[in-house]
Amino acid sequence: MTTSMFSRIPDIDAAQSTAGPIPFVRLVRVEWAKATDTRSARWLLALVALSTIAMMLVPVVAPTTFEQTDASYLRVAALGLTILLPVVAILLLTGEWSQRSIMITFTQEPRRIRVVNAKLAVSMVLGAGAAVFGGAVAAAGIGLAAASGRTLGANLTVGAIAGYVLFVILNVFGGVALGALLQNSAAAVAASFALPAAFALLGAASPLVSDWIDMSSTWNWVLENDWAGHVPQIAFSVAFWVAIPLAAGVVRTIRRDIG
Amino acid sequence: MITTTALTKSYDTTPAVRDVSLHCEPGTITGFLGANGAGKSTTLKMIVGLVRPDRGTATIDGRPFVELPNPTRVVGLLLDASAMHPGRSGRATLTIAARMAGVQPKRVEHLLDLVGLADAADKRVGSYSLGMRQRLGVAQALVGEPRALILDEPANGLDPEGIAWMRTLLRDFADHGGTVLLSSHLLHEVQATADHLVVISGGAVVAAGRLDDLLASSTILVRSPDPAALAAALGSAGIDYTAGPGDAFTVDVSEGRVTAEVLAGVARDHQVLLTELRQSETNGLEQLFFSLTAAAAPTQEVAA
Repeated sequence: MTTSMFSRIPDIDAAQSTAGPIPFVRLVRVEWAKATDTRSARWLLALVALSTIAMMLVPVVAPTTFEQTDASYLRVAALGLTILLPVVAILLLTGEWSQRSIMITFTQEPRRIRVVNAKLAVSMVLGAGAAVFGGAVAAAGIGLAAASGRTLGANLTVGAIAGYVLFVILNVFGGVALGALLQNSAAAVAASFALPAAFALLGAASPLVSDWIDMSSTWNWVLENDWAGHVPQIAFSVAFWVAIPLAAGVVRTIRRDIG
Repeated sequence: MITTTALTKSYDTTPAVRDVSLHCEPGTITGFLGANGAGKSTTLKMIVGLVRPDRGTATIDGRPFVELPNPTRVVGLLLDASAMHPGRSGRATLTIAARMAGVQPKRVEHLLDLVGLADAADKRVGSYSLGMRQRLGVAQALVGEPRALILDEPANGLDPEGIAWMRTLLRDFADHGGTVLLSSHLLHEVQATADHLVVISGGAVVAAGRLDDLLASSTILVRSPDPAALAAALGSAGIDYTAGPGDAFTVDVSEGRVTAEVLAGVARDHQVLLTELRQSETNGLEQLFFSLTAAAAPTQEVAA
């Protein structure tokens, strides 16, 4: 068997012509497979779905304590989704560092920015998919409420839907940015729970923090489609939670020695 | 072809690799030999762009690794067999590598057969022994049909049968025109596998060349029942010697002027009876290597 194991090793010119750069679509597909093909990843996605469905039961079974409108049902879906979705997003970026398989990935495609971009594309697809799923859960909740004889306020504008989608994507990219920056699953997950809580606490003491940084106020304006007078604050908090850590994380990823 | 020139890397102020230059030709297996922590892994990681050198360059077929359009089609790597996702099956791990390389999915089945993991292909890598992970790592390295292989301690965790299998595979790969660079901290392992050798110690190359040349003894032992007469004969022929071992003499032949034949002639001319005339058993490389590894022996290599 050993004698037929290898054909003659192709010469440089012949081999070079058969191996072009890895197409970006292929990178995205492989990253998608890596993000979804393990048991742990599937459990986590199932938990995201379950927590969304569980949240949706609250306005359905407790109509007196919850605003009964289409848009508020959609917001409940968003809050359910974003309990664990940032964790999924973090693991998309940190998983390979923790398993150290990043070593393999960055030798398969040494242009590290392309791998990071592929992971960002997967995050975007995941965020969009989550938003669609949340919409379906909200629709089911609204259907249940209607079936129980309630009449829901019909206030589902395009703006409300856009705010909902943007809020879900923002939560995904907040996780992505933390993961890209810290490159360590445990640290990034801990930070994703601790940092927003810490800034919410600080926000209680200082309106400057609550208006410009605390995502429980700024990102909530996005979810509630309440942009009037809030655009600079929202922009600043997106830079603070997403753009700046993501940019720093990309630079760190590209420069880091992988020992 | 794998070439490095004066690769140098320090961590903080501690030098890890100093001026390491390697040259690996197609059709050869180069053993990169050094004690744990000598700088082997850091050098290999600089070659493949995982670690950024402070100075120096590394090329594969004349191009820096990071400029290869699809590196797995050019050079196969096994750097750390434990750096795999434990939750993925062997087949899934290889399938991902095959998709990245852009090769036919059926190559995965061929490789699973080749490395003897066909029966364990659907088990999770987390349940694999280190030896099985090494085999999977070899399959992963070969997935893109590369013409060069870089392997960091490939014999780790393999049983004797697995080591023999690995040797046959690498020899076959080289015999078909492939270039192999493998690291090891075991002299006898490298001796049995490689035909070229680079010895690294404290981050610097201390010996390099063809294995045969490096292992060839540089001294000849000559013995006579009449040591005094032999000493006189060597002296009058102008041949330097040292006394020992025992009542024999040791003659340095590294310059090539003195050979076994010359010594035999001197003995004949002076009518001295010789009872032994042969290459000394000890050789410089082995002594060098053991003196280098003795100090570092108990430490376990942490991925450097």
